Amino acid sequence: MQQLDKKLNFGNAKHNVKCLSEAGTLSILSKLLKMKIKVKHDDNFRQNQDPNKPKNLPIEKDYKENLKRIKSELGNSGDIAIRDIFFGSAKGFAIYIDGMANNTMISDFFMELVVHEEGLVLKDPFQFMLEKATGLGNFQIIRDWNELYDGLLSGNTLIFVDGFDQVINVETKGWEKRSITEPTTQLAIRGPKDSFTETFRTNTALIRRRIKSPNLWLETMKVGKVSQTDIGLMYIKGIAEEDIVGEVKKRIKRINMDGIIGSGYIEQCIEDKTMTTFPTTYVTERPDVVTSQLLEGRVAIIVDGTPFVVTAPSVFIQFFQAPDDYYFRFDIATSLRLLRVLSFFIALLAPSMYIAATTFHQEMIPTPMAIAIAAQRENVPFPAFVEALIMEVTFEILREAGLRLPRAVGQAVSIVGALVIGQAAVQAGLVSPVMVIVVSITAIANFATPSFPMAISARLVRFFLMLLASILGFFGIMLGMLGIFIHLCSLRSFGVPYMSPLAPFSLKHQQDTIFRLPIYTFKERPPLMNEGNMTRAGSNIKPGPTNKPESSSGSDKE
Amino acid sequence: MFLFSLPLLQGCWNQEELTNLAFVMALGIDKAEHNQGYTLTFEIVNPGNVASSLMGGGQGSPVAVYKSTGKTLFEAARRASKEVSRKIYFAHTNAVVVSEQVAKDGIYDLLDVMDRDPVFRTTTQFFIARNTSAEKVVSTLTILDKIPVYKLVKSLNVTETMLGENTKIIIDDVINSIVTSGKEPFANGVVLPGKQNKGDKMSNIASDKPNAIIKIDGLAIFKGGKLIGWINRNKAKGVVWVLNKVKVTDIMIDWQGKKNAISAVVRRTHVKVSPSIRKGKFAMNLVIKTEADIQEVNTNVDITNPKIIRKIEEMVETEVKKEVYESIHTVQKTKSDIFGFGEIIHRSHPKKWKTLKQNWDQEFASMEVTVKSNVYIRRNGIRNKPFWSNINQ
Repeated sequence: MQQLDKKLNFGNAKHNVKCLSEAGTLSILSKLLKMKIKVKHDDNFRQNQDPNKPKNLPIEKDYKENLKRIKSELGNSGDIAIRDIFFGSAKGFAIYIDGMANNTMISDFFMELVVHEEGLVLKDPFQFMLEKATGLGNFQIIRDWNELYDGLLSGNTLIFVDGFDQVINVETKGWEKRSITEPTTQLAIRGPKDSFTETFRTNTALIRRRIKSPNLWLETMKVGKVSQTDIGLMYIKGIAEEDIVGEVKKRIKRINMDGIIGSGYIEQCIEDKTMTTFPTTYVTERPDVVTSQLLEGRVAIIVDGTPFVVTAPSVFIQFFQAPDDYYFRFDIATSLRLLRVLSFFIALLAPSMYIAATTFHQEMIPTPMAIAIAAQRENVPFPAFVEALIMEVTFEILREAGLRLPRAVGQAVSIVGALVIGQAAVQAGLVSPVMVIVVSITAIANFATPSFPMAISARLVRFFLMLLASILGFFGIMLGMLGIFIHLCSLRSFGVPYMSPLAPFSLKHQQDTIFRLPIYTFKERPPLMNEGNMTRAGSNIKPGPTNKPESSSGSDKE
Repeated sequence: MFLFSLPLLQGCWNQEELTNLAFVMALGIDKAEHNQGYTLTFEIVNPGNVASSLMGGGQGSPVAVYKSTGKTLFEAARRASKEVSRKIYFAHTNAVVVSEQVAKDGIYDLLDVMDRDPVFRTTTQFFIARNTSAEKVVSTLTILDKIPVYKLVKSLNVTETMLGENTKIIIDDVINSIVTSGKEPFANGVVLPGKQNKGDKMSNIASDKPNAIIKIDGLAIFKGGKLIGWINRNKAKGVVWVLNKVKVTDIMIDWQGKKNAISAVVRRTHVKVSPSIRKGKFAMNLVIKTEADIQEVNTNVDITNPKIIRKIEEMVETEVKKEVYESIHTVQKTKSDIFGFGEIIHRSHPKKWKTLKQNWDQEFASMEVTVKSNVYIRRNGIRNKPFWSNINQ
């Protein structure tokens, strides 16, 4: 990767030198440029995309020249809106991209321009513009072309004034965006009803609204050579482990792709190990989940254009924690979590158990049940493994088809599917009713895992275990499970062992693993992912009537 | 994780579809004709006829009975494959029924193959067919339980928990009793009252009053691996008492001249057996502690009076003692120590046991046994005075 970068830089530099010498400038400038490129290689992103694009030049004083250049470089695209400014002797133009900038704001600005003092304009038109632009919003003075495009293409308005080699870049971002809606993939009964949207700024605001601490830091960067997608790295300074933050940053910077279309791209580019079916980063569309994870010392990666925020590092048990676990009391939360872990194992093991029990270990089935199953299988033409495979694959097809079907057809498919799986197959004697039960319990159990990536990996591993069960019976399942456990223990998520705090066992940090203990026991943050700042809560926060008045002072506010 | 793996790491090392297996539910062992080894009777379940009619279950017999003969059990079992279209599978065998003739000749030769075979379970229950052949017991159809062996096993279970005359004996128990010095095995008997030869017809379950009924009856006493006698009714109950296997049983006592006036049910019994040495000879002391509920009062008696309750308790105590004494004396006459008294002495006095064990049978027969019982009446049903109390006034 690095080598490639160097090559690329080298190419650019050469190109620069050529251009500069043509322009008659000395090579000192080119050396400077070279150095700059080395430091920050994607600074001149336009040339990264297309080496034929002109170099990073200073802005011309002649505004018409500038206009011509912008137009030619953007290929005269139709959505570029240009509004000329003529008043008195001052000439210039404002340029923005229609649809990305807020039209009303810009109109207001022009309305204000009409009321002006001639003297002031003549004295210093640029200063005048600057003062007017203050009313428009956050502004900046730009001197080179790269920054100019950065601003323009992210929805800002640029104001050029004739005779000045500076440009006013006013933040007028305002495009049509989806409003904040209820989360669709991670529902909670008592949790907040808002979810992330596709807009980067909305998402960061949703998080910041929940953590009003100056220590909540947001580092933004642009990733994607062509797409220039905004990526935000959010963490709480002083809680998140610096090494992990640095590592995340390093890995994101390492990404050298043309475009980042969703957070999945980032996720796949920064994970520790590709050859695993288990997710090593957590994805959520719930701001409350991100908030709690930030407080635990994790890092959130927000990607513009997707409502899914990636958090890292993540551990195995995290994928079984639903937001509702913390909104309900601990007894309920614990039993629900146990249920979820159980259903994960059902989703993983049910079909392979069925295969193993009916083809290898008939003695393990209670006698009446063995007879009942035998009776049902009496006329089934396939061995148990083939039977299970047919049903499981059929179900997966139905599920996959149902996922992407146009809504109008969806119902028809589900009826056909239910009939095919539920009744016709049994009546035709192709599969036994027990198998239908096994498939349906597997399917339902699979949906009980709160995290979709984890549920999907269980789906995949299931087939592998079915195969093992058909060859070696329970012994095979056991081998498979051992393999999975070993694999899980070998995984790391940004240096944090994936199975912690279960596999490097830490008794002190079991409050929120398989059992969810009362909230007052959450005294420390999860280990290994925060910087020395382990204490979450005061020492005396166990609820109850306050008998001793002095004892109530112990609780710290989060 | 290893704990998690343990229940899964059992089982057999070859793949076999369920539909290729013949589930042997009960195994009958008879003597072959002309003393040519054994005849085995397999009660093989016919799954299609047992399970509910969702799959179009037929009206035929729920079980199929096959017979095969061989010099040894193993040979006979293998020869059965000539007749049976599926692999004979013993893991779900619920009961082994041995005929009286075979038992009288000795059961040592039967047990090794059952013990050694990885599929055959030593938790299978062990029965002796009394006054009938094992084949007939195994092939008799039953009306409430579709699979006949369930009837056998469940009836035993019910008698055990309601009557207390029998107790569950599995092959493991038999083998254990044989290998333990100072203990002899016993087994439950099964009889077939009614028209024995019609038991295997479907008509047996077509009528509400079956021709032949499988019935648990008596305990078979073994000595040296051979059946030497039977013990019945209350005496059998006494054996169960001594073995501390009584769960619930009933006791009837007389009251003021009226026979069997009061019935009580005995629960939560605990029997302590301890040896002692009296005049240089070993003696056994039994202490029976139990609770009783009054179930039936057919006379005018005020059971709200603690003194009377105490009196009833005492009478129940003597009744229990009587049962146990009778039973012990009967067993002592057979000289077969099915109670395992020898084993108890072996444990408490290992050195003396070495000399004692040479002549244990005689010692056992002449041993002095004392029984103490302690009964506490806890409940008297949902009525205090019986309705009799008003009639007489």
